Amino acid sequence: MSAPTATVPGPDGPTTHDLALLRRRVRREATRDVLRTIGRGLLTFALTVVVVLALWWGVLLVFDVSPYVAKSPADVWDHLVVSPDAAAHRAAVTAPLGITLYHSFVGFCTGLLVALAGAVSFRLWKGAENALMPVAMLLRSVPLIAMAPVIIMIVGRDVAAVAVIGGIVVLFPALVTIAAGLSSASQQMTDVVHVYGGSPWHALRMVALPASLPAFFAAVRISVPGAITGALLAEWLATGDGIGSAINQAIPQVQFSFIWSSVVLVTAVSLVLYNVVQIVENVVLVRTGMRTTTDR
Amino acid sequence: MTIPPSPRRRRLRTAVRATLAAGVALTLAACSSGSDGTGGGEGDDADHGEISVQLSWIKNAEFIGEYYADDRGYFEEAGFSSVNLVAGPSTGIAELVSGQAFVALSDAVSAGTAIANEDAPVKIIGTTFQKNPFTILSLTDGGDIATADDLVGKRIGVQDSNTALFSALLSANGISPDDVTVVPVQYDASVLTNGEVDGYVAYLTNESIIVEAEGFAVTNLPFADNGLPFVAETFTVTDESIAEDRDKLKDFLVAEIRGWTDALADPAGAVQLSLENYGADLGLDEATEIASAEAQNTLLVVSEETAANGLFTISEELQAQTLESLAGAGLELEAADLFDMSLLAEVYEENPELLDYEG
Repeated sequence: MSAPTATVPGPDGPTTHDLALLRRRVRREATRDVLRTIGRGLLTFALTVVVVLALWWGVLLVFDVSPYVAKSPADVWDHLVVSPDAAAHRAAVTAPLGITLYHSFVGFCTGLLVALAGAVSFRLWKGAENALMPVAMLLRSVPLIAMAPVIIMIVGRDVAAVAVIGGIVVLFPALVTIAAGLSSASQQMTDVVHVYGGSPWHALRMVALPASLPAFFAAVRISVPGAITGALLAEWLATGDGIGSAINQAIPQVQFSFIWSSVVLVTAVSLVLYNVVQIVENVVLVRTGMRTTTDR
Repeated sequence: MTIPPSPRRRRLRTAVRATLAAGVALTLAACSSGSDGTGGGEGDDADHGEISVQLSWIKNAEFIGEYYADDRGYFEEAGFSSVNLVAGPSTGIAELVSGQAFVALSDAVSAGTAIANEDAPVKIIGTTFQKNPFTILSLTDGGDIATADDLVGKRIGVQDSNTALFSALLSANGISPDDVTVVPVQYDASVLTNGEVDGYVAYLTNESIIVEAEGFAVTNLPFADNGLPFVAETFTVTDESIAEDRDKLKDFLVAEIRGWTDALADPAGAVQLSLENYGADLGLDEATEIASAEAQNTLLVVSEETAANGLFTISEELQAQTLESLAGAGLELEAADLFDMSLLAEVYEENPELLDYEG
């Protein structure tokens, strides 16, 4: 937090008036920091949208894809907003999108909770990392498409499969990031807890967990697109509903407008969620003094 | 490999030898034999280059005519330097309109759905199967789906490529999609025997025979008997090809007719090709593949119509039946929207000897 330095206490120490002024000034600075952070987040988001649209148009132009197959941003806008059947088109996309978002949420929570539990256990028991990391690596390195039949045979084709498949996609990057965050806690502070007779659990709760907040937010941020990817995969391979399945059924039926609209909406939702997390992250970190608006 | 070298290979070897004798580098020979297509001395004036054909299914007995046409060099004699047979499952329509495939072996309902709903610029110019062998396959001791009403409340394994077909079956029989659970499956019918699904979209002439050979009693719900008689394994092409590559398409049909004529004469030999070459990595069973090929040859590929007018013909009556199937599924099309039989008619006019496939 950029603490004000201009106010110099008078010779007799700060008066009540001085203190009130100081407090107001601190609050004003904090609010301004938060607003500035949100503003910067929105600006980044707008820039991302512009870049994505430019890339989309550019790629279609460069590769000269048949217009029957390749839809431009204008075609998708027409399909979803302008055309007389736009309402029906929107409903056709939003219904599976809702299912996909629910699936993403399930996979996101599963993956993040397991990652958090794993990272905490690494911190508490030295052997845990050696025992669990290879398993996490294995889950990461075997292609999900090869594991899917086994997962389906074990847990079935309902929401449990979504939790497992989505969880696997989210788990590894989140685990590594959170574990790194936990071990970044200051050794001196941990020592203080130990000297006062605190257990490793105390050290974790009072030092490591708060210190890992930036890493935790980073994990949440990268998990958002991961969770959506996992949900789409699970829908394609296991459940047969949601966008993941709808797109694959639409391809043989050459419903290209639907496909492009779905892809656009999934991408948009993913971008929005990512940026929301980023803004929340920045605000929280600024408010907790872990990052000022100027040091990045 | 145990099969004798294909004519294509033999010709390539000759070409290479000739060029070596002329003192030209080997690499040049490879290049020229690729672009040159048929090589010299075949009495062929066309050079159609390389094409891709999208198959509707994996490379099993369903495409024995294509295997012969490729292996015996009929494609090459028709002017194609190489014909790339791309395995499905796929309806092929997306591959056609995106330019990845020149011809797709599709079915009339998938093509019709794409034309009616998405204005897909494609047409059917002939068909291998006069009747469609699609069925909902179930185990007599399991789902036992014998009538369309039995579908209600069941879990049905539907390949993504057969989504349109399955919707058509439901609409034609007045069943709401909400009453059936669709399970995404691939080309492996084991989901049926291990209980993951109650029914599975299959071919009477393929999975039905395979599952029965594994010792299960099976129940079939044939599409053709439940409101959907239509032609399948259709030669589907883009309107653009019909307009701009008419001769190329006709030459392709000639090679296909020759391939399927051979396949009708010797299905067992063709199955060998699929077992040892084209579908070698699929773990196909010889006995069921031969049974499959024979059932398909006698029940699907030939009819009174083909005996009179040649293979791949689609009579006006059959066209009307197909359109009625589509209408039952809520898709209104005219015959001219879906079929263009003029190319096949010209092929038989120019090559009357092809009409007599029975030899």
